[in-house]
Amino acid sequence: MNQIKRIFSLISNQDYFDKKYLNLLREIATVQFKLKDQSTLFGFIWSFFHPVILLIILFAVFSLRLGENVEHYKIYLFIGIIQYTYFANSTSSALKVLSSMRQLTTNVIFPKEVLVIGSVVSNTIIFLLTMAICIIIAFFTGVKISWSTLMLPLVMLLELMLVLWVSLLLSCLYVFFRDLDDVYQVFLRGLFIITPIFYTMSFLGEGLAKSIVLFNPLTYLIDFSRTLIINGEVISFKLFLPLFLVNAIFILISLKIFKQYEPKFAENL
Amino acid sequence: MNPNLQKICSKCPEISLINVTKTFSVIRNRKTIVNSIKGVLSGNSNNPKPYSALNDINFEILEGEKIGIVGINGSGKTTLLKTIAGLYKPNDGEVHVNGKMILLAGYGIGMVDELSVKENIYLYGAIYGIDRKALDEELREIIDWAELQDFMDTQLKTLSSGMRTRLGFSVARFMDADIYLLDEALSAGDKNFKQKCDEYFDSTKNEDKTYLVASHNLEFLKMFCNKTLWLHKGNQMAFGETESVLEQYNDSTNIGPKSQN
Repeated sequence: MNQIKRIFSLISNQDYFDKKYLNLLREIATVQFKLKDQSTLFGFIWSFFHPVILLIILFAVFSLRLGENVEHYKIYLFIGIIQYTYFANSTSSALKVLSSMRQLTTNVIFPKEVLVIGSVVSNTIIFLLTMAICIIIAFFTGVKISWSTLMLPLVMLLELMLVLWVSLLLSCLYVFFRDLDDVYQVFLRGLFIITPIFYTMSFLGEGLAKSIVLFNPLTYLIDFSRTLIINGEVISFKLFLPLFLVNAIFILISLKIFKQYEPKFAENL
Repeated sequence: MNPNLQKICSKCPEISLINVTKTFSVIRNRKTIVNSIKGVLSGNSNNPKPYSALNDINFEILEGEKIGIVGINGSGKTTLLKTIAGLYKPNDGEVHVNGKMILLAGYGIGMVDELSVKENIYLYGAIYGIDRKALDEELREIIDWAELQDFMDTQLKTLSSGMRTRLGFSVARFMDADIYLLDEALSAGDKNFKQKCDEYFDSTKNEDKTYLVASHNLEFLKMFCNKTLWLHKGNQMAFGETESVLEQYNDSTNIGPKSQN
């Protein structure tokens, strides 16, 4: 723990594990949750229906061809959709958070990355709940849930780390480039295609397409989750550890960049 | 604490500004990726003419001093407070601050419109390091002081500007800080509220907390501030004893502001 603190202290003099800081983070996450109207049951049901509707459409279109030889194709699809939706939704809302919380960003003295982290945390809560529901559905549709599912929090942590550094970078860039949102939405469409959500890796063959998909970190996260839930097998730490380290390094780098540009936020918003 | 040490520390400047200059670019184009690429391609990198909001500001404030800031609209009062608060980065010069700050703007600026009164109070508490449990004890009093008993769960955006001003000020009173930066914080209040504020300022006058108050209310500044800074078009016209600075300020506004050479 102290080692981690020392690493963070290289980036800013903020104590990220301070009780007051964590309290502020919790409060901001609650605020974000409320502003998205998700504190009510119906609000949550809406954010749950989004991936479900996508699931129904993709299943209707692809189950006969692409899903023919895939075991538990419904759950296979659902895991992919949930993970992609979490990435897309949380990074998109974090991208705008400095601007949508302009009142606070431009007028109040506090470390601004809390807004970004809080926004990510509030989306992560939805992600956790949806994933839990997914496992329950998997159980009732005949997937043999094994002990390996207990390793799922590790994969979710990895995805949280990925979302976190992407969000820090995007939110910071958005202050200076206001059309980034449009560009990013196009990028997310592309990402949907280059992530194995509705197809399998074998569908791609051995070409450029495969290299592109293998370059996409979401590919590994979704594959890990499917291995744990559907196949009931343990994930390979040879793959997990490097991904963990790379994401940890990227968090530090993007936090550093964020803190570097923080004093310019107020006048550019 | 060793009383001698305390004496030495109270002599140290709590806030000092050395040659602080702040310019804003008057934005001509919206900041977008497309415009940046256009700028690079056409050779002019979209560098609009800078507008100087603060020009070579120099002063020192000691712990416990009460400083007034006067100047006509657009003279740089808000920019100065935000620069001290660290929200703006000066283009030139240095800002040194020694202590925890609260910036409070009038009309409840800096609060979230879509949240209720209560939620805003909790949020502010968290920002200034007070958790819900500790705040719950004060909540009643904060709401009572702001006279918003019937509006606890009302969204902030539906409140009048007077109500918002009262809420902002009421919350700030409970937040513990060393330096209070008040930007027109007393505007839009009615007679009753002004009286409450006067009582509050009377009680804090002899505390060792530092105040910087930007205001158009010269009577208030005379009553509360031992020193005053006069800004005009970003220039520091005078800094010193409140009485004499306000006299100069009044003279200049009567015959129209002098331009500095």
